Amino acid sequence: MSRTFTFLIAALATLVVRSAATSAQTPSAEDIMRRSNLARYYPGGDMRARVVMRLLSPGGERVREMIMSRVNVGSTGDQRYFIYFNRPPDVRDMVLLVWKYPNRDNDRWLFIPTLKAVRRIAASDKHTSFVGSDFTYEDVSGREPDDDRHQLIREDSAAGRASYVVESIPRDPGSAEFSRTLSWVDKATWLVVREEYYDARKDLARVFTAEELKQVEGIWTATRRRMKNVQSGHETEVTFSEIQYDRKLSPDLFGERSLRSPPAELVR
Amino acid sequence: MMPISWKRSRGKLVQWSMDHRWVVLGLVLLVTLAAGSRLPRLRTDTDPKSMLPASAPVRQFNDQVDRWFGLHPDVILVGISSERGVFARDTLARILALSDAITKLPGVIARDVVALPTVNDVSVSDDGVLQTQPILERVPGDDRAARQLEHRVLDNALLVNRLLSKDGKTTAIYVPIEPGANGKVIADRIRVLTATNPGPERYFIAGDPVARDTMGTEMFRQRQVFAPLAALIMCVILYLLFRSGRAVAINLAVAVIAIVWSMGLFSALDVPIHILASMAPIFLIAIATDTVHIYNEFSFRRREASDRREAIRQTMAAVGTPIFLSDLTAIAGFASLAIGPIVPVRVFGLLVAFGTAVVLLMSFTFVPALLAAGRDRPVEAQVPARAASSPWLARLGRACVTWRKTVAVAGMAVMAVSVVGLFRIRMNNNLLAFFKSDSDIRVADRHLTRSLGGTAPLYLVADGGAPDAATRPEFLRGLEALQRHLDKEPVVGKTVSLADVVKRVHRVVSGDDRAQEVVPDSQDAVAQYLLLFSMSARPRDLDSLVDARYQRANLTVQLRSWDAVETRALLDRTSAYLAAHPLPGVELRPAGMAYFNMVWSDQVLVGMREGFIASCILVLVLLVAGYRSLRWGLVSFVPLFFTVLVGYGAIGFLGKDFDMPVAVLSTLSIGLAVDFAFHFVSRFQQRFRETGDLEEAVIWTVARPGRGIVRNALLFSSGFAVMLFAGLTPYITVGVSMIVIMLLSALATLIFLPALVTLFHLQPDRAAGSASLGHLGGTP
Repeated sequence: MSRTFTFLIAALATLVVRSAATSAQTPSAEDIMRRSNLARYYPGGDMRARVVMRLLSPGGERVREMIMSRVNVGSTGDQRYFIYFNRPPDVRDMVLLVWKYPNRDNDRWLFIPTLKAVRRIAASDKHTSFVGSDFTYEDVSGREPDDDRHQLIREDSAAGRASYVVESIPRDPGSAEFSRTLSWVDKATWLVVREEYYDARKDLARVFTAEELKQVEGIWTATRRRMKNVQSGHETEVTFSEIQYDRKLSPDLFGERSLRSPPAELVR
Repeated sequence: MMPISWKRSRGKLVQWSMDHRWVVLGLVLLVTLAAGSRLPRLRTDTDPKSMLPASAPVRQFNDQVDRWFGLHPDVILVGISSERGVFARDTLARILALSDAITKLPGVIARDVVALPTVNDVSVSDDGVLQTQPILERVPGDDRAARQLEHRVLDNALLVNRLLSKDGKTTAIYVPIEPGANGKVIADRIRVLTATNPGPERYFIAGDPVARDTMGTEMFRQRQVFAPLAALIMCVILYLLFRSGRAVAINLAVAVIAIVWSMGLFSALDVPIHILASMAPIFLIAIATDTVHIYNEFSFRRREASDRREAIRQTMAAVGTPIFLSDLTAIAGFASLAIGPIVPVRVFGLLVAFGTAVVLLMSFTFVPALLAAGRDRPVEAQVPARAASSPWLARLGRACVTWRKTVAVAGMAVMAVSVVGLFRIRMNNNLLAFFKSDSDIRVADRHLTRSLGGTAPLYLVADGGAPDAATRPEFLRGLEALQRHLDKEPVVGKTVSLADVVKRVHRVVSGDDRAQEVVPDSQDAVAQYLLLFSMSARPRDLDSLVDARYQRANLTVQLRSWDAVETRALLDRTSAYLAAHPLPGVELRPAGMAYFNMVWSDQVLVGMREGFIASCILVLVLLVAGYRSLRWGLVSFVPLFFTVLVGYGAIGFLGKDFDMPVAVLSTLSIGLAVDFAFHFVSRFQQRFRETGDLEEAVIWTVARPGRGIVRNALLFSSGFAVMLFAGLTPYITVGVSMIVIMLLSALATLIFLPALVTLFHLQPDRAAGSASLGHLGGTP
């Protein structure tokens, strides 16, 4: 309850602060992370994109292509993700459906074409790899800003963009796979352009970089992202193309029924 | 070789060293201090992998396989056992805490630690929901839930015998460590962790890096204890023999100088000292006892000669030739090890060769200078009856001469029997065998081998030739059949492959129907299952079994033995199986530590053996050249040949493996056995030229210089006997072998040479070549 409430406040605050930001006043670390969370995971009422994911390991490369659609549901922060696998051909028509709730475990369903069957997946662990990549489910769908304590460390520039550097430490150390993160939040777009994840030993474990920012239909979007596991040398590069916002997709499309016969707007 | 000119130069060198004794002593001291200052910077390398160059195909391929599958060469195994079963809730709590603490240790590759709390399992609940969470996320709420969890794990083919023993009493944590991290240090830290929260569980820590680094630490530590201890005991015995502190000091000084100079030089050249080369000081202590001959002769001559320097001159003239030739032969023998391809063997050979050269140089400079620098004391009082020959040895000599035919035939018979033993020799390498049977690591390894699937990892990499080949059902069924074949092998404890994952997922998505634990018929199904698996497991769980392009699969085999010969036999039988049941289009190649161990064993041990045979041939050539006589060369070679044959024959009959310590020690026999033969032959030739009576000269040689030989052998044997009490088996092997080599070569010299010389009437020629060997030497 309280989290839902916080989300509302945050969403409202964003609108208010947007005008305030033009003034010279430096926002608080909490504000920065809340706004960044919205810019990163919630832009538009809905979104769809062709996503090419390259898994780069010291031993070779694997490429997957999917059509990813997202819709925001209500104003509580709930979202639905419909991830349709397009390539390689042997996994074509597989679909991962995720219903994300900010304050409880997500619901996940998977359609397995060869079985023509839908299986529900109990997803208690948000820190597992997202389809074998270096991103976790949490990286893909976002982590609640209030789960961490934030502190503005300094202002810096990353990839030529003036950024706030915010340190985040989980309130409950067991709730995260990192002991702390450092986020470079671009002052102009509120997108995170660089993020460093530190492990339980305080060693740098993973580095996220937004390598290409583009304005799509007026919304700043990271169109090429990279997550590098600096310890294993494994990295994942994700490219977004054919991005569309606000097609007024109905949340009802993102249902179990769509898994078996996906509606055209979610697979093209 | 030009003995005459060598001899003159040696004489001049001895003279010059006596004339400028303070210069010589000062120079030696300066160089020793300079070399000694380098010692703290000496680099050591205890990794057995370094025994093969980084460019060796097995290392290259192993590295490649590690990259393909994200594997780590160094994995520590932590076994946790409880008689109540490890699924007791308090035990589970301790496992969770331990696993968490281990991932926080420096040097541990936290992301790839495999344990019940870190491995994700795919299962299905009663209402058909796929469950994907770590097997042991938190301690189950009650005992019933704990039992259910246990059943689930025991029902999972991927986990049984890997993470949980069939009886549920042992689980394991696989802890990969960073390259260069010290396995012993991390193992010690894990031991501390296990002690902080005691319960009824017992902990067993094993694995290659622990063995390797414990070995490395222990070897360098024990060398520091036992080499000085051996030196000390030899000093005491030297003192008892000569009642002279100077004899002890000379011997010790030469040994120390040789060790410091050679180690200092290699430190300056920045050559790392491997486990093998760490044995070099022991060799140099042994070789430096050559100076016993000098002092032995000097203490005798001093009583007759008019002045001290004349006594030194005479001494060096008498013993100079055998010392010069035997040291030179040893140098050539050790240096010839440098011809082989194995880097640490080369380093070892050159290190000992250089140290022997230093001993040789010291014998003709430092030792005479030191003797000349001393003041005269009444020598008679110190060396009572030094000249007396041994009546026992005289009797032995006489017997050998009388029964020469019998001796020769008996010797031949012993050698013939030894040849039979030679063919029984098993070339093997097993790092664990370097530890005593009751050592922590052997106990841990035995326990984990018995309860889980073994501790030695072998990989069989199946290459399908093209991307996505590994997801073909027939490919996976081939792997599955191969696994079923391997599982029948007693040495195989556990196999895991991509086929197991696919079968597991197929079963889970088919309503957890046991009958559905099979490879599906379509390649698309396999690919979809793998994508499903990658959504639920950690990337590592899949990556370790198949490469990024789905071209190669890694069939992981856990072996119950680290024996190289077992791995070889298994691979041979696997090849035979594959010949009968080919996997079309699939190339299968072995990799992993167990395979490395096997190749290492083949290459290093075969390399050592070939180097040794080459050294022996070289020594024979040098002996013939040195004496300018084929007959004398061959006769002098007999003690070495006999020692080597009988020594190895015994190893074959006793069933002891031909492993690295044995291989190294065999080279030492070159230095020692030849030394004895040289002394015997040259002293015999001197004597014969003076008396002209062959039998008398032979018996005299056995009785008089033979006494020095026996003394030398006993001195050594007692010194190295301390090694029998060492904690590592290679040191015990060194001790035993030293004693055997010494006694055998001394006996062979004193028994066979008299018999052979009289049997074949080997009279030294009066020709210049032979005469040059003994001409200048006076007779006692």
